[in-house]
Amino acid sequence: MNLRSVGCNFRTATVGLREKLAFDAARLERAVSELAARFGCEAVVLGTCNRVELYVARGVGERPFDAGLAAEFLGEAHGLPAEVILPHLDEHADADAVRHLCRVAASLDSLIVGEGQIAGQVRQAFELARKLGTTGPLLNTLVPHALRTAKRVRTETGISQGHVSVSSVAVDYVRQVFDHFGDKTVLVIGAGKMGRLTLKHLRELRPGRILVTNRSPQKAVEVAADCGGKPVPWEQLDDALVQADIVLSTTGAPEPVVPRKRFEERVLPRRSGTLVVLDIAVPRDFDPAVHDGDRVCVFNIDDLTRVREQTLSERRRHVAPAEAIVEAEVRRFAEDWSRRKSGPVIGQLHAEASKLRTEVLTPLLAKLNGKLSPEEKKAVEYAFQLYQNKLLHGPIAALQEASRQGEGPTLMEAIKRFWGLG
Amino acid sequence: MSVPLQNVTHACFGLSYLLAFGLELARLRWPRPAFRFAGLAFGAAGLVAHTLYLVVHHPTPATPYGALLAVAWVLAVFYLYGTLHHTRQAWAVFVLPLVLGLLALAFVSPATPDAAPTWLAGNRFWGAVHGVLLILAAVGVSVGFLASVMYLIQANRLRAKAPPLGGVRMLSLERLEAMNRRAVNWAFPFLTLGLVLGVLFLGQYHDLAGNWLSLKVVGTAGLWLVFLVLLYLRYAAHVPGRRLALLTVAAFGLMVVVLAAPHPFAQGAGP
Repeated sequence: MNLRSVGCNFRTATVGLREKLAFDAARLERAVSELAARFGCEAVVLGTCNRVELYVARGVGERPFDAGLAAEFLGEAHGLPAEVILPHLDEHADADAVRHLCRVAASLDSLIVGEGQIAGQVRQAFELARKLGTTGPLLNTLVPHALRTAKRVRTETGISQGHVSVSSVAVDYVRQVFDHFGDKTVLVIGAGKMGRLTLKHLRELRPGRILVTNRSPQKAVEVAADCGGKPVPWEQLDDALVQADIVLSTTGAPEPVVPRKRFEERVLPRRSGTLVVLDIAVPRDFDPAVHDGDRVCVFNIDDLTRVREQTLSERRRHVAPAEAIVEAEVRRFAEDWSRRKSGPVIGQLHAEASKLRTEVLTPLLAKLNGKLSPEEKKAVEYAFQLYQNKLLHGPIAALQEASRQGEGPTLMEAIKRFWGLG
Repeated sequence: MSVPLQNVTHACFGLSYLLAFGLELARLRWPRPAFRFAGLAFGAAGLVAHTLYLVVHHPTPATPYGALLAVAWVLAVFYLYGTLHHTRQAWAVFVLPLVLGLLALAFVSPATPDAAPTWLAGNRFWGAVHGVLLILAAVGVSVGFLASVMYLIQANRLRAKAPPLGGVRMLSLERLEAMNRRAVNWAFPFLTLGLVLGVLFLGQYHDLAGNWLSLKVVGTAGLWLVFLVLLYLRYAAHVPGRRLALLTVAAFGLMVVVLAAPHPFAQGAGP
């Protein structure tokens, strides 16, 4: 195997450099084709916001695709000097490159361990390369193997469980309370940036109605226009709270907007059903004391951040078992690949030995014709077969071991010459 | 090779359900598909054995033994359906303990095999209608109980602000509340009709006047009253889901007492 993975990621390069090295869709196609054509190699280019990596397989005995060549290639593609890029490149060779791809696909090398997008991005990069005809026997075997490894890691460990963005955690809580959203009303209080992100997630639930209120009527109209909601005058906040099922509160008010007394006197007695309040304002807009987990569920920014941290810490617990799966899969790939490479030579070896055995055995049996009983003839044939097997056992075992160690080509060549194989 | 149906015993379905429950618990700890499929296989095997047992021995629901076995059977169907339908939720972990609990209660209850001929004073058709109505009501109460237990757990998790996707996967409060509501709405008419039929039968046989105060009769009437309160609180007073869930749990407790109590006519008092 002559495989290299060379590239930069969030650990080795700043976001500024990664942005400069990123490929858009059209440039990516050109880059993959050019890489394969220029170096006569199999090539897959993986580009995400956190990494740009080139996976290159060349023929055994050819000069490996090293960081120097990669820096040159990336520099030409992006109009940057190679020496600026080179110090930020990370290089992995052969089994180490296999391990790296498996870890990347399994999201063990991600900024947020266990994130779910990277496997899809690896798949897309592979499909593009296949479409452009830049993959060959090695990458056609390796990338699907890495994707299977990622699936094993995902299903056999808890590394992908839970969400790690505050907005997603907020929506997860909403889903613990409500089942369908077409008949639900979302009330947005304020217009903070964080609130807009969470509102984007909430809108994906397709709520029946969105109400927006703000101290500034103009802001309320703007936000309502953005999200397809209806502006509500600030003075009608209590009525809006009575109608709402989900409240997203994100004002910049220095005091609670809805103190406990106001909520319990003016809102709670007038409503039925559960109200979920996502209070992501700092300072908080709702008094957390109104939370009872039944009629009112209040989740503030601290609650959501705590869950995010718990999820990350839980994921970290699964890193060691996930790494063990990756190691096992790297070994399995190396064995499968070596078997695949040494298989034809072993087949030739068997054929040649069988031919020689027949050449010796046939005249011998002809000479002994009539002197041997059928049982004795069988015993002679068996003895020759056994001899052949014992004779070949040593070279075949050595060839398999050498392939596993990455020294297969040299020994394979020696065996071919020794046995006169074509 | 055929298995004589008479050989199907309590152990066949009781142990199958128990194994299915154990496998479901194991699945919570180690989420492997193998545990799910093995659990489903044992659950299905248990249901088949349970069905065969009821077909072969047809214990009368007039006895606590027969009634508990019948309710447990319906809940086992409910368990299997729910496990297939709600693949992500730990459905079996909640339903199977109830099935096993009802079976355990049935196994220790007297079977009183001589109850059948005297069931409801020999009026077999209306007696059967009365029994079926009350069994259907019991199923509704049991489903309401399950929904309520899950509701209380989910509400407690929300109150404690537990991680939303951590631990046992549960249905949303809204879904559980709807399940509870439907179960109670289903059970109440059956309970009312079954109770009315029972009262008519008791009234018909004056010599059974003493049975008006039997645990079964008083308990069933009490259950009906609890249901009435439950419906009032839900539809007229709009009390919070947690209180309704607690009341449904109490109704289930009363129902178990009623099911386990001997039937007035099964005590040899009928003509």
